[in-house]
Amino acid sequence: MAEMRPVDIAAASPASQTAEEAVSLPPEQPSTPPREWIRQNLFSTPFNSALTVVFGLLVLLTARGLLNFTFSEEREWDAVRTNLRLLFTHAYPEEQYVRIWVCVGTIAVLAGLSVGLAATTARGVSVKRLSSGLMALGAVVALGVVLREPSALSNADGSVRRNDSGVIRESFAEAMVDRWGWWLAAALLATAGAALWFRFGDERRRSTFVPSVELFMGVTAIVVLSAWVYPWGHYAFTDGEFIAEPGRTVAMSTKLPWTVMWLLLAVALAAGRRLRQAGAGSNFTLALNLCWLACPFVLYWVVLRDPDLDWDRVLSVDIPLGVLFAAGGAAVLWLLTDQRIGELGRIIAALLLGLAAFNWVAAFWGWYPMLQKVRLSFLLVALAALLAHNFAGDRSKRLRLLTVWAVVMAVFHYMATLMNSPSSVETPTEAFVGGFGVTLVVAAFTLLLSFPLGVMLALARTSKLPIFRVMSTSFIEVIRGVPLITVLIFFTIILNLFLPDGMEISVLASAVLGYTLFSAAYLAENVRGGLQSIRRGQFEASDAVGLTALQRTIFIVLPQSLRVSIPPLVGQAIATFKETSLLAVIGLFDVLRMANNVIPAQTEFLGVKREGLLFVCGVYWIFAYSMSKRSQRLEKQLGVGER
Amino acid sequence: MSSVGDATTALTEELAARNDMIVCQGVSKWFGDFQALDSISAVIKEREVVVVLGPSGSGKSTWIRCINRLEVHQEGRIVIDGVELTNDLRNIEKIRSEVGMVFQQFNLFPHLTVLDNVTLAPIWVRKKPKREAEEIARSLLERVGIPEQAEKYPGQLSGGQQQRVAIARALAMEPRIMLFDEPTSALDPEMIKEVLDVMKELARSGMTMMVVTHEMGFAREVADRVIFMEEGQLVETGTPEHFFTNPTEDRTKLFLSQIL
Ligand SMILES: Nc1ncnc2c1ncn2[C@@H]1O[C@H](COP(=O)(O)OP(=O)(O)OP(=O)(O)O)[C@@H](O)[C@H]1O
Ligand SMILES: [Mg+2]
Repeated sequence: MAEMRPVDIAAASPASQTAEEAVSLPPEQPSTPPREWIRQNLFSTPFNSALTVVFGLLVLLTARGLLNFTFSEEREWDAVRTNLRLLFTHAYPEEQYVRIWVCVGTIAVLAGLSVGLAATTARGVSVKRLSSGLMALGAVVALGVVLREPSALSNADGSVRRNDSGVIRESFAEAMVDRWGWWLAAALLATAGAALWFRFGDERRRSTFVPSVELFMGVTAIVVLSAWVYPWGHYAFTDGEFIAEPGRTVAMSTKLPWTVMWLLLAVALAAGRRLRQAGAGSNFTLALNLCWLACPFVLYWVVLRDPDLDWDRVLSVDIPLGVLFAAGGAAVLWLLTDQRIGELGRIIAALLLGLAAFNWVAAFWGWYPMLQKVRLSFLLVALAALLAHNFAGDRSKRLRLLTVWAVVMAVFHYMATLMNSPSSVETPTEAFVGGFGVTLVVAAFTLLLSFPLGVMLALARTSKLPIFRVMSTSFIEVIRGVPLITVLIFFTIILNLFLPDGMEISVLASAVLGYTLFSAAYLAENVRGGLQSIRRGQFEASDAVGLTALQRTIFIVLPQSLRVSIPPLVGQAIATFKETSLLAVIGLFDVLRMANNVIPAQTEFLGVKREGLLFVCGVYWIFAYSMSKRSQRLEKQLGVGER
Repeated sequence: MSSVGDATTALTEELAARNDMIVCQGVSKWFGDFQALDSISAVIKEREVVVVLGPSGSGKSTWIRCINRLEVHQEGRIVIDGVELTNDLRNIEKIRSEVGMVFQQFNLFPHLTVLDNVTLAPIWVRKKPKREAEEIARSLLERVGIPEQAEKYPGQLSGGQQQRVAIARALAMEPRIMLFDEPTSALDPEMIKEVLDVMKELARSGMTMMVVTHEMGFAREVADRVIFMEEGQLVETGTPEHFFTNPTEDRTKLFLSQIL
């Protein structure tokens, strides 16, 4: 499955190295034999040896505790297996469940294309690492088999046998024999590793690489295929009810969709690679990134929520309104980008902003009724008018601005219409997906929205104009001085009390709003650190070649400062992702609440909590860890060209 | 508004007719209480190469930076190719796209490749199509002698190569005037020559140049005129021959005796 790709090190002479290779080809280091390494690093002095022994014992004890907890006869892992669907999506209606798979499939296709289009800079895993990894895994499994306490004996009805002094366990020897399956697994892993190791000579072991993408596809293919052979797991509940239906396991009910997902991923991967070879890379990457940006909105509002459009209203109100604003705004922008307009343009823009602000004031006092999206559209017209003078110039430049404006209006009115339409999908909560799904939805929206907001706040805080500086600084300081949970409660519970009649904000939207503002304040501070690290010469050079302030910010200042602040930015993204667990507190059914409250309330698994919580930890960890890994790789890639 | 405007047009037309590229009239500048430039007046004609000399802190950089508005002068007037430098943003943009500048510290954009460094401004300021801008950039890199480095990042180049990229970046805007502020001072001795050669070639091609440098050899060989500054004042100006063999001012003599 995993295709081997020998890399000829000798052929890559330093002169022929491109910038990419220079980073991914570190000088080959002479490897020390394991025994030598252990002696040098673990047992160099008596004190060092004592430390090694003490901490080694501690690690073994902890591992033993964790093993005994995880594999104890008292653990009811069926509570997790049976409720996998609940944990990941909450009770999305069974007959509509294909929508969830459409979302997963879309993400798989986008991910496949992205990976396929990306230039491969990493060489993957060397055969040496792969085989020693396999052998080490085998050793760890064997160690685990020995470490775990002997299993408890069970009665005929399956319950654990006890006497006065506690659980009755089999003898150590019996346990070792009983666990032959695990021994077999350990042996298989070790043999596979050893076979790989000895098939390659020392030189080739180090210079032959298995690309990580192929490795990943291979491993996932094995997992997916195994579901066709063996009905993994426990029976799954159906129809969104908490009653289990015996005989149908999670693996059986999802093997077909997962196979389709795997195939989609593989096809997209191949297509992406083909496109890159055909040289269509750069254009396509831009389109693809736009798809990634649009994907949370489209998937949530169109696919998951399935808006039930009222076509009479759409044709009579929504479309005319959108066209009106697109055309009216375009006319205003055309006027304001005329070079002869001068100071008058700014006055008109300021007046428009005043009108837009007045609309909101009027809404709060209930002076005249107006659709929310009309108020927002007015605001957008005013903001575009404020920026218009940057685009003054020849006809093509002005037309480009008008095109962008038309697209923005079309997207905005389209989204507003969808959001205002009732949904055809009926779910027990208003958030449509729950469990880990809502975690992902909130995290995706929050990161997407808070990132630009954070960058703008940082720019405003370092701006020359005092009004921007003061507003941004006070916003950041206020938000940073308040606990997140307070912000969330304010937005979900208290905000609705302040809103005028007829204006309402859903729990999910207000949660995203709260998270976004909170995260933006922290992101802004990280970005500001990057902004300050840019030397004066960069500003002078961009001025000297004639870039405008806006161009300077976009092309010179932001790319450099964002690159510097990648580690704190990713740290903040991971923090935001983990903080979505507070959704449980404001009444949404996120994955933590499923494990902590919902599953333990099911009659079948009454009070079974620890398994679910451990599982949730694992899921969070996998996501957070891969984000952090990804950022390390990004840092390395972007480090190109830095001194 | 109108009277100043009229005066400006009058001055502008008068100067344009005389082919003067840079005109400074009584330019003064203060940093707080400290006067860095003291009513500097000078005229630099088209195709002229002027070398500015002076001890450290004499205001050479400040003057040259006033000419493309990296610093703002407080008194006097500066007219570049018929356009007066005022607070009017459009004039500043116009002047900056006509005046190329090369810095002592190169100031290349480290996150962009050499090619992107050179094409950025032509594409976004001059609105050139990308392909055309790249063609021009490659021919300029050829001209400064580093066509093979186009895809590298500045951090991967030597100092001399970086400074030549900086020259190519400035030339890509097709400027009518080039300003150099000590272009070789941050370079190792063996790299100075490659940069000076590029500058000599540029001077021969007829570019109007204003060069702050400590390279006396360059001044003697290439300059049409040498200007000597001290404490923000213009002390003496003349041909290199006059300047190096029989300067009139005592301060010039003192400076030359220290440096030669
Ligand atoms: N931003 C500034 N703020 C305050 N003083 C400044 C500033 N820039 C320059 N000066 C002062 O103005 C004077 C002239 O500086 P300038 O950099 O023009 O000198 P220079 O002739 O270029 O010297 P060098 O040969 O060392 O580069 C110096 O005394 C310097 O301290
Ligand atoms: Mg200087």
